[in-house]
Amino acid sequence: MKTNRMPRVISDRFLQLLTVLSAALAVVVLTSLFVYIFSHGLSLINADLLRSDYWSLSKIVALDETRNQPGSYPRPENLGAEVAWSEKWGVGFVDHLSHEKKQLVLIEAVAENSPLASAVDTSSGANQGKPVAMSAGLQVEKIDFTDASGTADFTGMLASARAAEVAETLDQSAAKLTSMFIKTPGGGIRGSLVSTAYLILVSLLIALPIGIASAVYLSEMAKKNKVNAAIRTGIETLTGVPSIVYGLMGVSVLFPITAAMGAKTTNILLGALTMAIILLPTIIRSTEEALRVVPQGLRDASLSLGASQTQTIFKITLPCAMPGILSGILLSIGRVVGESAALIYTMGTFINDQPGLLKQGTSLAVHIWSVMSGEQPNFELACAISIIILIFVLILNLTVKLLSRRLQKSFR
Amino acid sequence: MGNLFFNRFLTQASFSVNRSAVNWELFKKGMNEMKKLFVFVLTALLVAGCSTAPKTDPTEGGTATPSASAAINVYTRDATSGTREAFEKAGDFAEQLTSSAIEVSSNGDMATKVGADVNGIGYVSLSTDFAANGVKPLNFEGVAPSEATVLDGTYGMQRPFAFTTRAAGDYESAEKEQLIAAFLDFLQNSTEGMLVVEKAGGVVDKSQGKAWAELAANHPIVNEDNSAITIATCGSTSVEKTLKAALEAFQPLAGNFQFTMNQTGSGDGYKRVLGSEKDGANRADIGFASRAFKSGEEDTSSAMASGQYCIDAVVTIVNEANTAVANLTQAQVHDIFTGTVTSWDQIQ
Repeated sequence: MKTNRMPRVISDRFLQLLTVLSAALAVVVLTSLFVYIFSHGLSLINADLLRSDYWSLSKIVALDETRNQPGSYPRPENLGAEVAWSEKWGVGFVDHLSHEKKQLVLIEAVAENSPLASAVDTSSGANQGKPVAMSAGLQVEKIDFTDASGTADFTGMLASARAAEVAETLDQSAAKLTSMFIKTPGGGIRGSLVSTAYLILVSLLIALPIGIASAVYLSEMAKKNKVNAAIRTGIETLTGVPSIVYGLMGVSVLFPITAAMGAKTTNILLGALTMAIILLPTIIRSTEEALRVVPQGLRDASLSLGASQTQTIFKITLPCAMPGILSGILLSIGRVVGESAALIYTMGTFINDQPGLLKQGTSLAVHIWSVMSGEQPNFELACAISIIILIFVLILNLTVKLLSRRLQKSFR
Repeated sequence: MGNLFFNRFLTQASFSVNRSAVNWELFKKGMNEMKKLFVFVLTALLVAGCSTAPKTDPTEGGTATPSASAAINVYTRDATSGTREAFEKAGDFAEQLTSSAIEVSSNGDMATKVGADVNGIGYVSLSTDFAANGVKPLNFEGVAPSEATVLDGTYGMQRPFAFTTRAAGDYESAEKEQLIAAFLDFLQNSTEGMLVVEKAGGVVDKSQGKAWAELAANHPIVNEDNSAITIATCGSTSVEKTLKAALEAFQPLAGNFQFTMNQTGSGDGYKRVLGSEKDGANRADIGFASRAFKSGEEDTSSAMASGQYCIDAVVTIVNEANTAVANLTQAQVHDIFTGTVTSWDQIQ
């Protein structure tokens, strides 16, 4: 007996070991992924990232002629040691390393009566001549000035100057500041958040009614014949088609539709239409599943009380299936948030700070693609966006779990 | 060392085993042994992970003076880098990079790493501050890299950043056409435009530049409110940095126009402004390529304007303490970066 048992024990142990090994590997891989993403991206996550624009706003400002001369502005006492203060112009600069690894010179403080406080916008357009607030955090690209003898020169980031040099040059040489080229910091993801919201709303608006209605037809009304079985198999197969194929179809087949509505380029509506098609199989499947769980007894009771089939479906079956349908919707939202390949084709890769339905824009996932595809991949920003997506998907998944638990409970 | 690792992870690992074991009825028996195994496996994996990880982040710089027989440490940029693309093309070793190459994530990172490794060799763009990073630029085919040799074409490791526009009259509005002409004038000919392009890493001949105030007189459109106009660019991803800097600098000079940049690759530069996709969903106004447009298949003669606005130059660098090499030929670059030559004295 004992000799007979040994090989069995060994093979059992081997199989057990295999499962444990796989589990350990999965744990290690997933943990290291999380550690990587969080260690790189967490430092960037703050309200400013969510609120600010991705693109810098450039401005060229000029100073009020009557005040455009050096004076004496004592250094405010509350400034830190790292601030380079220009006594004659009453402005303080700091060095800053951006998350794109770019050395920046930022304005830190401007004295109340400094000539710089009189800056006005010189660009033609609605804001021409309007005052520009020299607030802390603005990038000093270039300061053009003339010295005492009238020779033009410039300083700032375009002259590769650091904060201390800018302040020193202004104090020593500048007799008059001809113009200043300043930029807002940028680097935020507000535009992509808005685009993602647009995308989710519009694609669900299109996919939900169609998806739920077809699921109701397929599972409640359609006869069980070969054609309907083929349709069902077809829909299930569609779930497995790579999304990039849908993207190609979207840009070639659906683009004329959005072009007829006035779109010149790929746009968010086109992305939403494509996403709606991608979502259809998911929504149909999950709605069908939800309808299947509704006990037959409920339908029979309704029918035996004299309700028509349609009344039964819309007043009894669908409401009972609601939690299941809702979890399908949440899964769809997760799908939209995670999609990138199809959207690169249909929405473009330009990060748009003022997205509109017929304009280009990027979802959060495509935003990651955009910041990673350049000459200088921005790992920090990509990881920060990943964290936001992860948290969003986590919340969705928890909600799905909650809903499906409720669904199971209600029919126990 | 091994013991230390083991102990450190023992506590964490057994904790996670306990948690997962609760649901795992199958393994109730013999769980203790499994636990030990799990811990061992986890430790082994972590140790293995730790020992292979430093490959991408070497900290050992070696001794201060390199010996001629020392092994060469090849550094490379990540696969999406345009600098890497340009360098691989110049060394004629695309797709053949040695597998022992250490990958770094940026131009500055490359300079720092090679500056810390006496046996390192890598490549950066010409705009890098060599001395500050402790690296030495190498001559290519006997020519020292400098702005002058790049501009006169004798330094070979370079590529042009070229552009082409849609055909004259093929724009949504006449204002847009004028604005694009103004932008290209700013980009190519103004000192202000050249300055921002140079600061963003491009090589330009600033002696040819004119003040924008002077050039702007030919472009009355820049004095209008252009906030309703959107210029669309496409093509090479390598031009992104210089192009973005130039567009952002030109915005306040030309009535705050809008722009969209869809940089996807040099191949799309011609296609989306003059070629097969010029009226499609991805149409653009200015197309860019980080190479010259191919004569014949990319015929830019119908464009309103085409040309090049700057040159991108790549420089091979070694640690400044390295005296074994000062000049490399294309064949030598090829051999070093494909792994055929692995030590300094093998360089012929």
